Amino acid sequence: MIERMDLFRAVHSRRTNEIAVLTMSATLQYPLVSDHELDFDFLAFGMGHAGDFAMGLALARPERKTIVFKGDGGQLMSLGSLVTLGRYAPGNLLVLLLENRVYEQTGSQPFSARVDFDTLARGAGIQGGGTTGNGKIERIETIETFDEALPRLLTEEGPHFVICPVENHEYVPPTNHSEHAGRIRNLRKGLGLSVPD
Amino acid sequence: MSKKGASASKTLVALKSLEFTHVLAIPDSESALLYAAIEKDPDIDLILPTREGESIAIAAGLWTGGQKPLVLIQNTGFMEAGDSLRGCGLGPRVPLRLMVGWRGYGNAIAEKKPIDSAYTYTEPLLEAWGIPTWHLMCSDDLPAIEQMDRTAEETSLPAAVITGYAFTE
Repeated sequence: MIERMDLFRAVHSRRTNEIAVLTMSATLQYPLVSDHELDFDFLAFGMGHAGDFAMGLALARPERKTIVFKGDGGQLMSLGSLVTLGRYAPGNLLVLLLENRVYEQTGSQPFSARVDFDTLARGAGIQGGGTTGNGKIERIETIETFDEALPRLLTEEGPHFVICPVENHEYVPPTNHSEHAGRIRNLRKGLGLSVPD
Repeated sequence: MSKKGASASKTLVALKSLEFTHVLAIPDSESALLYAAIEKDPDIDLILPTREGESIAIAAGLWTGGQKPLVLIQNTGFMEAGDSLRGCGLGPRVPLRLMVGWRGYGNAIAEKKPIDSAYTYTEPLLEAWGIPTWHLMCSDDLPAIEQMDRTAEETSLPAAVITGYAFTE
């Protein structure tokens, strides 16, 4: 089991110019360690769709890695998107599935204990899939292993779908539903694109 | 009125002239010929997600990254995708371009009464969302795509064309 904040600190310490898509309670703590101009908080943009948005970004910006931190509850809300990843995810997409086995955003109600994300991802064709045919599924269970794998995950061609069992014992900031238009425009600005009014 | 249903090949020409880069499509029987035309074209990338809400979120990511996607879905899927449209289009002011198949339109016109509730709720729902909409019922209506595209760009909000008949060759 990985302490979630340790995972965030590890990513932040090794990250350079990658886009990071955050979503829901799974990543409310990420801004405590990072204020990178390419951090994008997907919260309230549509439950379960952070990975879809990130895939669009990765396809649009092949010159850099897009990292998406997904909650496992959110993944259950868009299981079909695993099939889309298995077919269309580009090599520059890194999905970090933060597995805590509950719907944390709404009060940590547990979902079925029988769900196996590794099996779901394999059944969706992610292993050996994506646009490169190099899709990889990994399960990383300790911060030491995660820290060791990160340089590879940030540079190797994927797409990568990495399942990380996490727990949390640190402060979680409140949810922020504001500034949707501003968030997306800030990201475009960070990517050097025009920003509509 | 001209022949019912816009020409798929002419619609593709219109999409290319407007420099669409990607089409996110959930195929349905009425858009099958347009889907086939796009699939053969090397200039537009065709992506088939599994549900319409996914399509809209992927399109929003593509736009944020500097691309120009079109979302091609049926009205039933448009209804399914409501939260994604709100969260990835209307709320953040992402100029999503939508082409929505109006299932039930042809029968409603032919029978002079609604047969399918998918017909009944399509226009009121688009109006409720505040999405400007143009009809694309035949090839003479193809300029509607350019109007929709320009409006989305100028307002930085979603805009739609709705198609009442199956695309023709």
